[in-house]
Amino acid sequence: MIIAFWIILTGALVAVTCGMLGCFLILRKMSMVGDAISHAVLPGIVIAFLLSGSRDTLPMLLGAGATGLIATFLIEYFHRRANLQTDASIGVTFTFLFAVGIILISGFAGEIDLDLDCVLYGEIAYVPIDLWVTADGTVMGPRPVYILSAVLLIVALFIKLGYKELQLTSFDPAFASALGISTALWHYLLMAAVSLTTVSSFESVGAILVIAFLIGPPATAYLMTHDLKQMLAITAVLGIFIAFTGYWLAYWLNASIAGCMAAVTGLCFTAAFLSLRRIPKPSPTASEEPIG
Amino acid sequence: MFALTMGIRYQHGLVIVICLIMCISCGQPQQAMRDGKPYILATTGMIADMLLHITGDSATVEALMAPGVDPHLYKASQGDLAKILKADYLFYNGLHLEGKLGSILEKQRRIKPVIAIADRLPGLIELDRNSYDPHIWFDVSLWKAATAHATAQLAKLDSGNAAYYRANGQAYMAQLDSLDAWVRMRINTLPEDRRVLVTAHDAFNYFGRAYGMEVKGLQGISTLAEFGLQDVSALVNYIVERQIPAVFVESSVSDRALKAVLAGVQERGGTVHIGGQLFSDAMGARGTPQGTYMGMVKHNVNTMVNALL
Repeated sequence: MIIAFWIILTGALVAVTCGMLGCFLILRKMSMVGDAISHAVLPGIVIAFLLSGSRDTLPMLLGAGATGLIATFLIEYFHRRANLQTDASIGVTFTFLFAVGIILISGFAGEIDLDLDCVLYGEIAYVPIDLWVTADGTVMGPRPVYILSAVLLIVALFIKLGYKELQLTSFDPAFASALGISTALWHYLLMAAVSLTTVSSFESVGAILVIAFLIGPPATAYLMTHDLKQMLAITAVLGIFIAFTGYWLAYWLNASIAGCMAAVTGLCFTAAFLSLRRIPKPSPTASEEPIG
Repeated sequence: MFALTMGIRYQHGLVIVICLIMCISCGQPQQAMRDGKPYILATTGMIADMLLHITGDSATVEALMAPGVDPHLYKASQGDLAKILKADYLFYNGLHLEGKLGSILEKQRRIKPVIAIADRLPGLIELDRNSYDPHIWFDVSLWKAATAHATAQLAKLDSGNAAYYRANGQAYMAQLDSLDAWVRMRINTLPEDRRVLVTAHDAFNYFGRAYGMEVKGLQGISTLAEFGLQDVSALVNYIVERQIPAVFVESSVSDRALKAVLAGVQERGGTVHIGGQLFSDAMGARGTPQGTYMGMVKHNVNTMVNALL
């Protein structure tokens, strides 16, 4: 039972954190930024390996975190300065960085197994055995749960404190600028939060699950409401529901846990799509701007 | 709407719930060893086979990875996780063979006995600073050293059966000695210019060093760095010049890359054929001779000698 509990809790933590950021990404048409980061971190881990000479988690995580930040910065920069569409900006950035990583591996580390799957991406099934043990031998519970809780706390605080600015810069950048809010600053802050969240979650639960949670629940919530606060709430509840049902589906099928959670995410979206197709969307409330 | 208000409330309560959970889970007592035979879990089939020989009928030994599974690509399922938690002792290869799983098992060392059989062996092949080739099992004498290490560790862990383990370990090491001599004898039947082993990826460095075979892998150890065009043409030139009669596919690696080399050699008017399938990172199916370590080594050597002679 304790296994089920830790895995569902980890899944829920990732789902809520990624989902809340994903809501803002969807509104900015930048949902695929998570997928982009999952590839763009490759040169970071190669350079971290070449500098440190080890494949331990900490240098890999630092290298990946740094390149994740660079990738999101480049994506924003190309989008703003070169007036490039966000999808093109994401595409050109991550393919370039991934290619640099491949060349670095071939040139300097061809003998070493530096697969992202081997050195960075975690697996949600390993969470209950990835324990944090203190110096005196006390077992403090799974390490990823602490990391992901801290990340959730940071992201929740960020959204709570910057809610007005994030909302305005997402919906109406011109109006936000007129009010004296720096749209560039809030874009970069959001992207830094996305980078921090995705890289730490990749390390704990693997790439596919993070990307699924970053896009699936917010996209489903987007079908159900026009109110940003409601969208965030639906995303959080849906994420917890998916973590729970996904785990028990995996238990029942004895299959990959991440795979089952991602599949349930897709099923939820389909169910929402089919049931809401014929219902007209509720009109936006007076205080909120319409989405999209 | 009910679901929504619930959701908002849940979101606020989530932090409190997490804090509560952590308080409960802190300071869990360490899992006590169960009665009866120890349950020993090994990552690869080769290690499980070795431990079975050492422990005989006084322990239950199981391999985490099924036959034919590439250890670099293994992902744990729901059931595998339960096995890891249940195990009294964990044995793994180390040297990054198991990827991320290896570093997680390493951390279990604080809770229960976890033994890396390859980490501190003498004579490891260094690939880069502090990174060593993990495929130690193809040098039978190195595998014997690993067996000695595992036997000593088991005798220490389960001291009641120490004498029994040591006797079994000695017997198995004697068998490995004769296997080592047999491999050397078989390889020596090859003319010296035929002692070249061309495979898809670099798994046979230890084998080559121990038995005087030149080893050429098309692909490095990493599966991510794809072979380049220069690698293919260099290997084609090498095969044509040295008139090598056979190259070998591996049970757990795709043969697509080697097919390109074969086509290149035929274009140049050379003749080379696929000499057979070698077991590299995983053993054969359970119940077959190739499903044991000694059977796997014999199969590999016979395949090489028959194709190259």
